[in-house]
Parts: sequence; structure tokens; C-alpha cells
Amino acid sequence: MMRSDGRRRLRYWRSLAEYHGLPPTEEERVAEAAHGAAGPPEFPGDGVSRRRFLGLLGASAALAAGASCSRAERGTIVPYTKRPPEVVPGVANHYASTFQEGTSAFGVLVKVREGRPIHIEGNDEHPEFAGKTHLRAIADLLRLYDPDRLRRPLLYGKPATWAEADGRIVPLLRAAAASRGPVLLVTGAVVSPTRMAVLEDLRRVLPGLRHVAVEPLAGPGSRDAAVACFGEALTPRLRFDRADVILALESDFLGSDGQAPIAIREFVSRRRVEGRGDSMSRLWVLEAGMSVTGTNADHRLPVRPSASAAVAFALARALHEEHGIALPAGLSKEVLSAFGLDAIAGRVNAPRALLDALAADLAKAGRAALVVAGPSLPAEAHVASSLLNVMLGAEGHTVDAAAACRPAAGPATAEDLAAALREAKAGGVAAAIFWGVNPAYWLPDAALFKSAIARAPARIFIGLDRDETAEDCPIVLPEHHWLESWGDYETSEDLLSLEQPAIGPLYDTRQGEEILLGWAKALGAVVPAGYREYLKARWRREVYSAASPVPFESFWSAALHDGVLRRPAAPASPRAIRIAAVETAASAAAVEHAAPGMGLTLLLHPAVTVYDGRYANNGWLQELPDPVTTVTWGNPARLSPADARRLGLEDGDVVRLEARGRSLEVPLLVQPGQAEGTVSLALGYGRSTGSVATGVGVDAWPLMGTGSDAAGSPFLAAARLTSAGTRAETATAQMHRSMEGRDIVRSLTLARYAKAGFEQEKREPATLFPAQEFPEHKWGMAIDLTACVGCGGCVVACQSENNVAVVGPEQVRRGRAMHWMRIDRYFDGSPDNPRVVHQPMLCQQCDSAPCETVCPVNATTHSPDGLNQMAYNRCVGTRYCANNCPYKVRRFNFLEYTAAKTEPESLVFNPEVTVRPRGVMEKCTFCVQRIDDVRQRAKGEGRAVRDGEIVPACAAACPATAIVFGDLKDPTSEVSRLAASDRGYRVLEELGVKPSVTYLARLTNPAKGGDGHEG
Amino acid sequence: MKADAAALPERLRPRAVFQGVMTPGSLDDQVLGHTAGTPSPLWYAGLAISLSAFAVGASLILYTFYTGIGVWGNNRPVFWAFDIINFVFWVGIGHAGTLISAILLLLRAPWRNAIARFAEAMTIFAVMCAGIFPLIHVGRPWVAFWLFPYPNQRAIWPNFRSPLLWDVFAVSTYFSVSLLFWYLGLMPDIASLRERATGKVRKALYTVFSVGWRGASSHWRHYEKAYLLLAGLATGLVLSVHSVVSFDFAVSIVPGWHMTIFPPYFVAGAIFAGFAMVVIVLVVVRETMRLENLITDYHLDAMNKVILGMSCLMGYAYIMEGFTAWYSQNAYLHHIFVQYVWGSYGWAGWLTIACNVAIPQLLWVPRFRRSYPAMLLVALGVTVGMWFERFVIIVVSLHHDYLPSSWHLYKPTPVDLGILVGSFGLFFTLVLLFARVLPVIATSEVKATLPGAQPSHRGGGHE
Repeated sequence: MMRSDGRRRLRYWRSLAEYHGLPPTEEERVAEAAHGAAGPPEFPGDGVSRRRFLGLLGASAALAAGASCSRAERGTIVPYTKRPPEVVPGVANHYASTFQEGTSAFGVLVKVREGRPIHIEGNDEHPEFAGKTHLRAIADLLRLYDPDRLRRPLLYGKPATWAEADGRIVPLLRAAAASRGPVLLVTGAVVSPTRMAVLEDLRRVLPGLRHVAVEPLAGPGSRDAAVACFGEALTPRLRFDRADVILALESDFLGSDGQAPIAIREFVSRRRVEGRGDSMSRLWVLEAGMSVTGTNADHRLPVRPSASAAVAFALARALHEEHGIALPAGLSKEVLSAFGLDAIAGRVNAPRALLDALAADLAKAGRAALVVAGPSLPAEAHVASSLLNVMLGAEGHTVDAAAACRPAAGPATAEDLAAALREAKAGGVAAAIFWGVNPAYWLPDAALFKSAIARAPARIFIGLDRDETAEDCPIVLPEHHWLESWGDYETSEDLLSLEQPAIGPLYDTRQGEEILLGWAKALGAVVPAGYREYLKARWRREVYSAASPVPFESFWSAALHDGVLRRPAAPASPRAIRIAAVETAASAAAVEHAAPGMGLTLLLHPAVTVYDGRYANNGWLQELPDPVTTVTWGNPARLSPADARRLGLEDGDVVRLEARGRSLEVPLLVQPGQAEGTVSLALGYGRSTGSVATGVGVDAWPLMGTGSDAAGSPFLAAARLTSAGTRAETATAQMHRSMEGRDIVRSLTLARYAKAGFEQEKREPATLFPAQEFPEHKWGMAIDLTACVGCGGCVVACQSENNVAVVGPEQVRRGRAMHWMRIDRYFDGSPDNPRVVHQPMLCQQCDSAPCETVCPVNATTHSPDGLNQMAYNRCVGTRYCANNCPYKVRRFNFLEYTAAKTEPESLVFNPEVTVRPRGVMEKCTFCVQRIDDVRQRAKGEGRAVRDGEIVPACAAACPATAIVFGDLKDPTSEVSRLAASDRGYRVLEELGVKPSVTYLARLTNPAKGGDGHEG
Repeated sequence: MKADAAALPERLRPRAVFQGVMTPGSLDDQVLGHTAGTPSPLWYAGLAISLSAFAVGASLILYTFYTGIGVWGNNRPVFWAFDIINFVFWVGIGHAGTLISAILLLLRAPWRNAIARFAEAMTIFAVMCAGIFPLIHVGRPWVAFWLFPYPNQRAIWPNFRSPLLWDVFAVSTYFSVSLLFWYLGLMPDIASLRERATGKVRKALYTVFSVGWRGASSHWRHYEKAYLLLAGLATGLVLSVHSVVSFDFAVSIVPGWHMTIFPPYFVAGAIFAGFAMVVIVLVVVRETMRLENLITDYHLDAMNKVILGMSCLMGYAYIMEGFTAWYSQNAYLHHIFVQYVWGSYGWAGWLTIACNVAIPQLLWVPRFRRSYPAMLLVALGVTVGMWFERFVIIVVSLHHDYLPSSWHLYKPTPVDLGILVGSFGLFFTLVLLFARVLPVIATSEVKATLPGAQPSHRGGGHE
């Protein structure tokens, strides 16, 4: 009904003004908006006829009946009655802490939501890590919530209280103290000064204490060489950022070595090329097994580990004779006379010209050269590499002994522990205490372990879970996870880092130091009860300078806040090498230990993922594809294509591997680039405890050698391979190795780039469709393939941030791994020594996303800021989007992988990311939760989002900073600059899907004289 | 008939479509009589086998609902496998019926009358089998109704750009029109059955389903008009439904799917597979139900000629696929085509070519077109071949797409095979039940071709 003035009469009105047709006041508008009435969707309120209303009512009732059949679980939400002051629901807290592994300590930042640690990143206040950390530090978060963790003390396998446990232990220790009987304490390497102080306090009241700080992966070679050459067993700090030429001998400093994140960051800082005039360092790798470092080499030579020392000595001789570099004073050139480049080139089957080029390169770099020998090599190789560093002047420049790590105790080798156990077996022990170590698993001579401690009156285990060693100990004491603990670490004299709890203890556990302090107290020592007080007191005494103008409490809280304390460093100074050591090593290197005639040389190495096996119960790490083989959940033996042909073996054949009189059966992987005559096998698998770890892979530790072994290193052995006649399928993430000549990873040499730049054909097809409009932002990413070393840190970080499911070996084998981010790895060139490229692959957030058009229910759509969004709730699971995704980055929940998880496993979930149930599709979101977080904060502060403020989890974790995220609409942003780089290209741009991720072509820097590893 | 039949040369005269002397009464006795009395033990045995197969499939589908489709072999990148193969396969089978009833009706091919009813029923059942797969293949079948555009308070509509949505419309429309068409044709026959039925329940049911058909001339007038209109409608659908199904592939960017030839290629393939299935079932029905006089060698010969024609079209399509792969200079497409014949699943490609192109060439020999062993060999071969053709298109194309890092082999699980067997079980169960309770031959239409049924100058009909 219309009024005569043309305005429509309102049947219902909210105010007189509305009745009279006046516009609503501001308050009314606000109130209406707040009520949600202003926004769509709505049916026009006063335009619905009765007939239409009834029609809609009927239809809705009928359809609502179907639509209400929801499977969503209804939980309960309980608010805090008293909110802890630091907890604001929905707002994350970050705590700086430290994660220790062996002799390394990684500065980390723990993200805590509502009291739960949910993600780990690098500590950006840390001068060495600079906001980056090790992928294993990121992944070890999962262990906090591992259901296998011990929850209370166990006495003879039965749950007990701490009082009961102490009641059993203390009298035994008291007796041992009284009789001064030997007490064996086995721990990992101690790099914590305060933990060492606790041990000293205990020793004072327990004089028979025999402490072995053992790291099973500690190589005797490097230690013996350091002692022989320089008189002190220290590991110098290697400065890859100062090196122009790096020669790695069997060293995986970018991969499985402990300091990888620092090494990667520093190495890549010299590989980053901004423009055509920039220089790059050059990496030469001589190694047997293909390692992460080998895949990044400019020149890689497959060399048997037994020949490494001879190659290094031959290089020393060539440097002296051909490049006029002086030998250390007192060293006669006759010592090196056995090492001619010609003979060596023949022995390792390498072109002479390449070795000449290597020598020339090293000579030219001088002090900016760096020779690194891997921990698995025998002492003479380490001596030879030290000799090279000393001759070149690298000692004191790229090799920095002043900043070396000097652990407070250890690292002792497995052989040292074996010696201690033999002693204990002969002399008897009053008690054997194992704290955070698992010798029952990794000690090569497992029988020795059992027999040595069998008669000890007290066998005590302190640790996180009931591992192989705990099985042998009647008294099992549960320890805090490091995220529940206090501590400090001193990895070098100038750097102290602090560990602080990010969560209260989940179970009835105690911090290891506190357990020891309790015993010390019971035995009469005067010590503070809690380890926190102990730590603080020691810091007040030892670290805090009384002369400081800052009060201790402020100093302490500042140190806790930063997580790290810098102290003045001694300048790097060169060390003189002892001539006798070189002479001994040279005579040892002249004879090759495992001669080729003896068959194969076995090379044991730590896994990049599960390390020595301590992380074997971690699903994230088990499912992280090995960067080189992409194998998950297992450790196939790796053999060169030529040897495989010779022995008539192929991928997936189970082989019997015999070495040191022991044998095991393991599936075979034909590894392109493996040195002929060698077979590589990763340690750390084949555990017999742990619900995740049990039965995954084979245990290679029994093949480890002892110090007196003929192979010269426990990691090396003469081996024999025979077919076991069966087959086993490894869970390999990537089945196809070749790029098939497709234009996926573009690469070129630095020389060509410097000369001609990089002309790229623009292959994006013409389109009839108008370009998309992005009103505010257009998020994009740039990935520098020159910087990416393929370590896999981004994959783990993404898994942790985005609640990505672990699916297990069977599902991986069936091609159903759920990683949102993966690292594609391609081999190129001859299988004997191929070129390897890594390519991080994630959702490319295409502007013309092919997935979006084919989804029948609009579950995947485009956001106004250029994101390809996925509405899990709406997904029906037709999987059409994934078929139509040319990058195959979409992941489907074929089964209920995650949603059925219960506490404690579910506690690790990031509350900002939906946990996906079975039947829905998922994929990378560019960490939309982080984008929104920053946007909301910027909006609250009334400013624009700053460039570099939004950092997705992968970019945050990348030690190489290969991944840059930002706004492509802002022409000044870093990502825009990189996207416009002449090296920038988009993968499969010829399809016209307009991806938002720009890859920067990979640059390599082969020497002119060499034949070029780069094709 | 305009021309004087006797004046025409023998070969140009309309062919008799039945043998022997037949009256409306004898026809009714022969065809409708099958619904009365006890079925033969053979029928029971067939039903037992198909019901068991169906039960296996149904329980495996329930198992899939309970655990998720992870129990199938589908993986990344082969996100679609048996599920969509079976869907396309059954939709293809469902093509022959409507083609025979509608298009051949419009083309006035008199031989269609005897086989139309059966072919139509097979269409309905095949589309029912096909319809299962899109439903069970989704990750969350309990929300599959979101594919339908229904009004909801969230104001979310399906994505009208998605070929899967077009599928929903195409297949459901095809199914409803086919069902209506079939039912409309059945009405006069059900009325005849109603008259013959003895049992009370039986009579009641036939009475209800004959919706008051009395055979009045007004009924016939409306009936003929409606039938013709539906035939017109169905004709378009025959061509559209499989074209739309082919869009699932053609509209995507997967190498090997993104081809303009797909719509006609799929329609031809569907007709091919459908006719083969009709031949298989027809032979069985003809022998077991003693219908040799109604379904004559001539019918089988005509069917086989269509199969032969379609086989040649398939061969042409395969060659064109190869030509496109070569001529387009598209490396991805080229790679996939090589995979079809020389890759890990090359055997499937050769099996497809052998079954669909090579073996049907036997039908050039007139003797083989009328020989049971030959036509069964061809028809079974085509059924197998067409299933594997979809396997090649779907699985082989997906397993090697753009980035070699994602390539992965596909291996079906026993659950996949069980559900496929189950769909055959459902199909044959429905076929057997149909043969038992409804006339397998459209008696009203055959009666129209009996002597004297049509007005003629000579006052007679056919001879």
C-alpha cells in the first residue's frame, strides 16, 4: 500500500523517525549492525507475502530436517572463573627457551596458547640462530604430548609414588656413598654449566660417582685428530659466511650435522645473488653417500670415505708444489710424497682436471677457504683437513677455535661407554643411573650392556619414555620434557642461553636435575630444593656481575626474556698444527683401510629426521621425507646404480647386509650419486619400544664398530651385500625422480648469469577474462631456489602450525601423505653423479585457480586479497579440485587421520587452525591465521600492515630465508621486488592459472676448470 | 505405406519383425504369460547369484561409509578411480535404452518395437547403478545433498560453473525422463496384465499402476502424443547426458582429459557399450523366455550393425586422440598418450583397443552378426573394453600429470572390486525382477505392427 506522498507505509516501525521515513540515527545504525541485521543474507523483511512466507517455511522445514543431520561433536566450553593474569584467551604468548641436542643448543621461541605450547620457532634475539631453528627442535614439541610419555615413577614395572621411589633409591645410594663404591652415571653430553654444577654437588656426597657423558654419534675421528693436532678436543666454530670456497669431505653440514640451521644460514648468506654483479661461494663435496650437502654442491665427486684422507693430503701437496703455499714449519714435503694428484684421481676415479681446479680454487681463496671433514671419517682425514685449513690460513678465520664449543662434560663416544661398562662388569657397581640416554638401543654390543649392569643393586632410569634402557631398569623415574624444564646452556664461551618452562608439568614428573639434587640433599649436601632456585643462585653467583648497575632480578628477567646472553668473545686466532700428528696421519692415509677388493664399504650415518633414534617415536619426523631419498618411515640401504647392476639388485629388493660379523636384512634403494663400492645406511631406526617407533626401519647400530676396528672409524666397515630373495616397499614420498625435461626448476650458472642475465620466455597465455581485482592486498610468495638447500624445516613447521595429520607408512606408500608443503627433489644427468634440485612446493594460490571452478559446492573460493580459500565445513569431498590442481598440492583426508585424536595428542593442535575430519580436502592457506592476526593487530593500531610483518610458518622456519612472503600489490615490498627479478618465474605459467608464488631460478657456481656439475 | 509393397524389389520391402503367425491374443499369451506361474529354477539361481553380489557390494559400501574412502585404492594424484570409472561405465550402459526407444522411434525403425521395452528397463537400472557412485564416492556422503540447489538460510548455492553440478542435473533429468518414458510405455501393457492377473495382490498392484487405462481412443490419443513428446525430449537427453559427463573431463586441465573431442567420443562410446549390454541380456532373455519368434535374428543383426558402426567411430576417436597429442605439440598431452599404450598401464590401453576396435570387426561378416558365440564374444569384449577405456582415461591420465614429483601408481583394493561386482549384482537383480513381473516386450507396440493393425490400401498389413 502506497501513501499519497509516494513513500511506502511501514507496517512495523522501530522508531517514530522510521515511521515518518526519516533516516535512522547513527546509534540506531550501529545497534542494528551489531545485531547482525544489517548484513546479508536476509530475505527482505517487509517484502515477504504470506504466501511466500509459508512457501519458504515449508521448504525450510523439509530441508532443515536433512541439513540438521550434523556429525559435529558438541563439546563443553567452560570459562575461567579466575583468569591467570598472563593468559588472554585467543592471544598467544611467546617464551624464549633453549632446545639441546648433543653438544648443540638451539635458541627457540615457544608459542603458547591458553597455557599450551603449540608451535616452536627460532629465537630472533639469538645472535647465531637469528630467528631460525632446527627442524628437530620444531618437531620435538610433539614429544611433550606423546601418549607414550611416562606419567609417574615405576618400580619393577608398577606405578609408584616419588616417595616410594626415593625410599628405595636413597638407602642404596647411602650405602654406595658409605662404601665409596662405584656409581655409574650415564648422561648425554653436558653443555649446561648449571647441570654440571649439580653433578659436581652430587659427586661431592657420592665420591664413587663415575660420569660418562656419551653421545652415540660422537665420532672418535674428529676428537682424536683435534687432540693430536692441537692438543685439545674441541669442535671449532665453522664460519661458512666467511668462506669463498668450501670443501666438504663426507660432511653433511647442511643436513644431518647438529649445527645445520646455523651452517645453512651462514652458507646461504654467501650464495644469495641480488643482481648480475654479485658473487657466490663455491661448494665442493667429496662424499660417498648422497647427502643434503652433496645435493647443494657446485661440484660433487663420489669418493669412498676411505680415500678422503688421501685426497686431502694430495691436495695439500698440490697446494704446496703447484701453488707455492708453504707447509707448516717443520713439516717435510717427503711426508706427502705418497700423495700424487694423478694417483689419487685414478684411485677415486675422478678427472684429474677437476682435482686441479679444486686445488687452484682453494689456493685462490686462501684464508677464505674452508675444509670440513665429516664425523664419520677416521682421524687421518680430520688431520688432513686441518692441515689444509692451516696451510690456507683458514685456521683462525673460517675455522674459529676461539668460539669453539667446549662441553662441560663429554661428548664421550659409545666406545668410551663400552669401556666404562666393561670396567663395571669386572669391578661391580653399586648403582647404574641412565639419564636421558638409551644405550640399550644404540650400544653396538647390547649384550655387554645387559651383563654389565645385571648385578648392580640399583639400576635407575631417568627419562621421558619407557625406552629400551628403561626396560632394563627396575627403577624408572619420569623426567620433565624440556618445555617443562629450567636450564642453561653454554655452547661457546661468548654465548649462554636459558631454558624456561612454557607449560606446567603435565604429569607427575620431575626435572632430572631436581631428582639428582634430591639425592644429593638426602646424602647430606646443602643445596636448594628446586632447580629453578639452584639455577638462579648459580647465575647470581657466576654469571651476574656484581659491578653491574642493573639489579639481579632485572638482569635475570631480561635474560629470560631474551633467552640468550651474549658475553664478550675472544677474537679468532690461528692454532699451530703439530707436525707429528700430520706425519702419523699421512702414513695411515697412505694405506686404504677397506680396499676395493674387499667388496663394499658400509657407511653408517645419522638420519636427518630421527637423528640417532631419539626422535624415532615422533610421527612428524618419521613422516618427514628424507631430503635426498624422500623416504619416510624407514632406512633403506643405499647402493650406487653401477653396484646394483653388478649385483643384480633393484629398488625394493631386500638385501642381507653383513659387516663386522653381524648381518641384518634391509630393503635396498638404488641411490643415484652414491660412490661405487659403498653402501650407506641410516642409524636411528629399528627401535623396539615406543608405539610409533617400534618396527620402523632396521636397527643399524649393531653394525657400528669399536675404536680398535680395522676400518679406522666406527661408522665405516667392510661389508657384503647379498639378495635376501624378498621384496619390501619403502614408504617413499616421491616416486618419480626425473623432471622429464619439463620446465619446472630453472637453473643456470653464475658465470652465464653474470654475462648475459637470465632471459626468460614469458609463457603465460593470452586470456579473454578480465584480470582479477584485489582492492587492498594481494598476498604472494617468492622462493629462491638458490637459497633453498632442501632441508625440510618448512615442512615440519607447516605440519606443526597447521595441524597437518601424520598418516603412517602404509598411507604414505599409497600416496596419501598430508603435507601441505613438500620439497620436490629431481635428479638430472647421469645416474652415477646426477645434479640434484630441490623445490619447495605448496599451494600456488593461483589467481585463476582451476580448483575453484570445478568445486560443485563452492567450498573453495577466492578471497579479495588473492588467497585461494578452502571452507572445510562446506567440502563434500568430490576431490575434483585436487584432480584439477596442476601442482597436486591439495590433500584429501581419505580416512579419519586427526579428528579422532584425544588428549594428550590433541593438545598440540593450533587452536587457530581447523582440525580436518575425514572426507574433506585441505591445502596450504599461506597461514591465513597469521595473516589475519597481523591484519587485526594493524587495524587495532590504526595502521597499515608493514612489509615483512606477516610471516607464514614455512618462511619463519626456513634457515636459509629462501621463502619471502608479502603483498604483491605494494610495489616496494620485498616480495614484489623478488617477483620482478629477472630470475623470477612461475611454475607451469603456460597453463594460465596465474600462480602467486614466484620461484627464483637456481644459480650454481661451478669452477671454470672443472667439467661442471651443472648441466 | 505409399508404395505398393508387392511392386518393390525384395530387398527394399519392409522386413517382417517377427516370425510365424501371430495374433494379439497369442502375443499376450506368450509375453504376459511369463508373469504368472512359478519361475524356473534357473531364474531363482540367477537371482540368488545377483542378490549375493549385490549384498557384497552393499555391505562394502556401508563399510566405506563407516571408515572413509581410504579403504579404496584412490590416492594422490589418482583421486578418482573405480568410483568414477563405474559411474561413467554405467551411465554409458544406460544409453542404449533411450536411444532405441526414442531415437529409433522418431526414425521409424520398426525393429525397435520388440526390444525397446527391455532396453529401456536396462537404461533405468543402469542409471540407478550409475547413480550410486557419485553419492558414495564423495568424502562425506551425508552432505552430498549440498550439490542440489535448494533454498537454505545460509544463502549458499552450489557452484554452477562446476561440471559436477551439470552432471547432477544431466543425470537426474535423464533418469526422470527415462523413467517416465518407460512407465508411459508400460501403461497399456500393465492394463493388459491387470486383466489377466489372478491373484488379489497382483491384481491390485497392476490396477494401481495401470492408472485406469481402459484403452479408450482418447487414452490412445493422449498416449501417442505424450509418448512422442517424451521421445523428442529424451532424444536430446541421450546426446546431452553423456556429453555432460564428458565435460567432467573435458572442462578440466588434466592432460588427457582436456580434449574437445570428448563429448561425441563419449556419446558414441556410451551407445556402443549400451548396445553391447543389450545384446548380452537379449540373448539370454530370448533363449530362456522362448522369444525367438519376437526377437528374431534380424533384430540381433541390426543391433550388431550398430555395434560395428560405433566400434569404427571409437577407433576413429582413438586415432584422433593420438593425432591431437602429436599435432598439438603439447608435451604433457604427448606424454600421457604414450603412457596410454607404453606406460605402466599400457596393457589397459591395448586391451581397450583390442576389445573396442579389433574384435568387433568380426561383425563385418554377416554370419557372425547372427551367431551367438560371435556376438557374445564381441559384446562381452566391448563391455570389458569400455570399462577399461574409462580406466585409461581416468586413472592413466591422472597418474602422470604436470609435476613428475607427484606421479604415483594406482592399485585398486578388494573393496573397489567388491563394489564393482555389487553394482553388477544390483543391475541383474533388477533385470531379473523386471523380467518376472512386467512384460519384457512392449506388446501394445508389437500389436501395432501385426497384420491388419495399420490401415493400408490393400487392407492387409505386412504380407
